[in-house]
Amino acid sequence: MTKKLISLIFLFFIFYQFDTNSRPISYPGGWTFMQNNDYKRHSVHIHYTPSIKYSFGYRGEYWKMKEWQFHGAQLNYLLNRSNKPKSQSNLYIKSGIGAFYSSYKDHQNKGEPGCFSGLSFDWEDRRYFTSYENRVNLSKTIDRSFIQKARIGIAPYIGDYGDLHSWLMLQVEHTPQAYNKVIYTPMIRMFKGDFLAEAGISNHGQYLLNLILRF
Amino acid sequence: MKYFIFFSTLIFFMQFNQIKSEDDVKGQTLYVHVNGLVCDFCARSIEKMFSKKESVSSVDLSLEKMLITINFKEGKNLNDEKIIQIIQDSGYEVTEILRVK
Repeated sequence: MTKKLISLIFLFFIFYQFDTNSRPISYPGGWTFMQNNDYKRHSVHIHYTPSIKYSFGYRGEYWKMKEWQFHGAQLNYLLNRSNKPKSQSNLYIKSGIGAFYSSYKDHQNKGEPGCFSGLSFDWEDRRYFTSYENRVNLSKTIDRSFIQKARIGIAPYIGDYGDLHSWLMLQVEHTPQAYNKVIYTPMIRMFKGDFLAEAGISNHGQYLLNLILRF
Repeated sequence: MKYFIFFSTLIFFMQFNQIKSEDDVKGQTLYVHVNGLVCDFCARSIEKMFSKKESVSSVDLSLEKMLITINFKEGKNLNDEKIIQIIQDSGYEVTEILRVK
């Protein structure tokens, strides 16, 4: 039974490529501001990196469908990084603890403690990008859900350091509890210097706009 | 007395050279080959980490060559251990360090 479970976990890691919307850990002493918007959620994450192994900071979220909010602390921990001559891969665990608030249906201004956690993996070289991440939300009554997403990307041109870099990506998001269980979002990622932006439109016509600033 | 002055002078210069060897290694430009240098946005960490060092005048990166070029201020430098530590703290792996005097 244990062997079977280990094999399944191993296969899961091999065949799924986990994502991060760019590294959740910066350089020692660095701050990062992340703002994500898509069909399901608006979120902001501000974190500080004391060491190359971890970062921590504030996360605030508003989930549109069930109209709930999360405010709390998030820890991002680098489990593994592999630097190869032509590529790099990273495996992180991202976890948060804080308070869930909701006024949806029976939840009249209800607040309760809760947490979330998930794994995030990415692999890229200068031409191709692939990633996967998952997340479990846990609170007593407001939300208990699982969500996972994967991305593949290709750089239409290879830029060098300091250039404007562009990636064409396809994001596939799976939410088992949702009416539309699978959402496809073609998108473009662009970055230059310390600023990164992503924009896309899903197969249901919903926008995606993510911004990251490092300082 | 003259032996005392001679040995004192000798010890002073030996100490001076020892201090100098830690941070003021000879060489004005350093070429560092690294693994994993594929993403410009992530590689910013290298520039930011070296820019904090007083002895560094400029840093240039080549993703194509997986190469970091570090230019030092006049008479300043960093030893290999510090270079490796800074690059590891930035998230990369040093494969080779070349010094040009």
